[in-house]
Amino acid sequence: MTIPKLFLSAVVALAVGAAVAAFGGSGKVLSLLTQAVIYAVFAIGVGLLLRQNGMVSFGHALFFGTSGYAIGIILQMQLMPAEAAIVLTLIAMGLIAFLMGLVMVRVPGVAFGMLTLAVGQMAFLSASRSRGVTGGADGMNVDWPSTLFGAPVSVLVQPHTMFMVCWATLVVVMLVLALLLRSRFGSITEAVRDNEERARFIGIRTLAPRAAVYALSAVVVGLSGVLSALNTGFVSPENLHWSLSGVSLMMVVVGGYKVLWGPALGAVVYFLAKDILGDYANHWMAIFGVALITVIVFSPTGIAGALQRLVHGKKAAPAARASHGH
Amino acid sequence: MLTINLFNGLVYGALLIVMCSGLALIYGLRRVVNFAHGSLYMLGAYLGYSIAMRSNFWVALVAVPAIMAMLGVLLDRYGFRLLQDRDPLSVVLVTFGLLLIIEDFVQTVWGKSNLSVPAPAALSTSIDLFGTPVPAYRLAVIAVGAGVALGLTLWLRYSKVGLFVRAASTDPTTTAMQGVNTDALSAGVVGLGTALAGLAGVVSAPFLSLSPSMSSDVIIDSFVVVVVGGLGSLSGAFIAAMGLGMVQALGAVYLPNAAVLLPFMLMVGILIWKPSGFAGSRT
Repeated sequence: MTIPKLFLSAVVALAVGAAVAAFGGSGKVLSLLTQAVIYAVFAIGVGLLLRQNGMVSFGHALFFGTSGYAIGIILQMQLMPAEAAIVLTLIAMGLIAFLMGLVMVRVPGVAFGMLTLAVGQMAFLSASRSRGVTGGADGMNVDWPSTLFGAPVSVLVQPHTMFMVCWATLVVVMLVLALLLRSRFGSITEAVRDNEERARFIGIRTLAPRAAVYALSAVVVGLSGVLSALNTGFVSPENLHWSLSGVSLMMVVVGGYKVLWGPALGAVVYFLAKDILGDYANHWMAIFGVALITVIVFSPTGIAGALQRLVHGKKAAPAARASHGH
Repeated sequence: MLTINLFNGLVYGALLIVMCSGLALIYGLRRVVNFAHGSLYMLGAYLGYSIAMRSNFWVALVAVPAIMAMLGVLLDRYGFRLLQDRDPLSVVLVTFGLLLIIEDFVQTVWGKSNLSVPAPAALSTSIDLFGTPVPAYRLAVIAVGAGVALGLTLWLRYSKVGLFVRAASTDPTTTAMQGVNTDALSAGVVGLGTALAGLAGVVSAPFLSLSPSMSSDVIIDSFVVVVVGGLGSLSGAFIAAMGLGMVQALGAVYLPNAAVLLPFMLMVGILIWKPSGFAGSRT
């Protein structure tokens, strides 16, 4: 896709979002879609790490929950205006994740996934236990001020505006990532992912780009955490729990991580399916378990891969090739 | 206080040994990190509960590992074997899907409330250990852990099948070329690993309460153990399991606020020092 085409699709996507917000029907449908879009941003962050780094994180809820808590605590202590808190939180997410990444991405293969799981669980347990700061297992309310970036918060939390804010964030995140991955940064990270040793031979420093992808994915997930805190006005240790990381990974795989929009599609499918299955909701775990296994066995590139095959015929099929190298 | 804590640390370490030996065996042969291992453990505990309620604990102790072994063989035959050419991530996620299915199954059949299994009459006394009375049942758990560790070590080192297992864990292709039926071997080993998860479940039932969250508590500790010990290394897992039991026990005495975080700090520290675990050479 050329750059003008990218911008054009972003504008079209925004227009579609505005149309959904205007004619999308009841507040209930819109708030469901809003949730789906927030998790779409989350899943895009997780998918980014997998796509550009070939690494599976079982602990990205860490960044989702931490950003919510960070804003909640800053606002509670009234350290700075909410706008500054959001910007600072995202920058801090990126810096912390970059430093963590420098250490963590050296751990090979599946062990990396478990390390992320362990670090995430550490955050979960700390948040559940420090009652004084985080409200412990009960969670904490986020005291948003009355205006945010010049817009009154009472308007922002209306289903229509909330949906539009989240949708616009999603579109902008995808546009920025698409542009970034077309650049030299994208090529370098792909080279390192496909064969770290050879990438080193041709003179690429491999550690920093991998840590940078980790940091970037953390910032994207952190952003979804901020949106969630804005949408619900509440953070709890559940936002840090490893099952959330697992669910996000499920969205990524079911949606298809080889294309940028795959994880977002996975998130939307997840929420719609959960809503449609409402009556069977007691068994959603088993249903998603079966769905996950089915998708992995029959379409390793996920729904996005299957759609691409439908549109492009057999041409897109080689993308299914596993791209893990050592 | 310290004695009883150290003792409980040993008990938990023994339980982790039974759990993690199964996890490490399966990883060795199939290169699969089985996320469903904790759920299989939970399934074993609940099956044990049902059997113990209908007959007695000793029947459950024998029947549950047998049932779980069959389940494991099926899991290998219709799961891991068909997926052996896929990238490791896909297989990990398949086991994650399996985890969701088993958790749902357990909640549907046995409900969400806590259940408990009484210790068998023969072991519900307490024994004096260095002046501290300790429940005999917990001593028996330590014995089970030690027995599993010793049995597996001897089996792998001195039996012919054990030799095959070690060979296939190092290089499955070459082992198959030498005439070893690695598919049958893997089915057996995954069966054994699953049976061990079931055994851990039955053994834990009388001293930990049964609840739907029991699987995630144990699986995360098990992951810490196998990763710290070096994936696929049994001896590494044994040492790490005991180490984790001790760290939690001592942490509860000396650092009560940080006790739950200690295992993870240990893991992070060891992986930074040696990214493939202290006994691991594989990725």
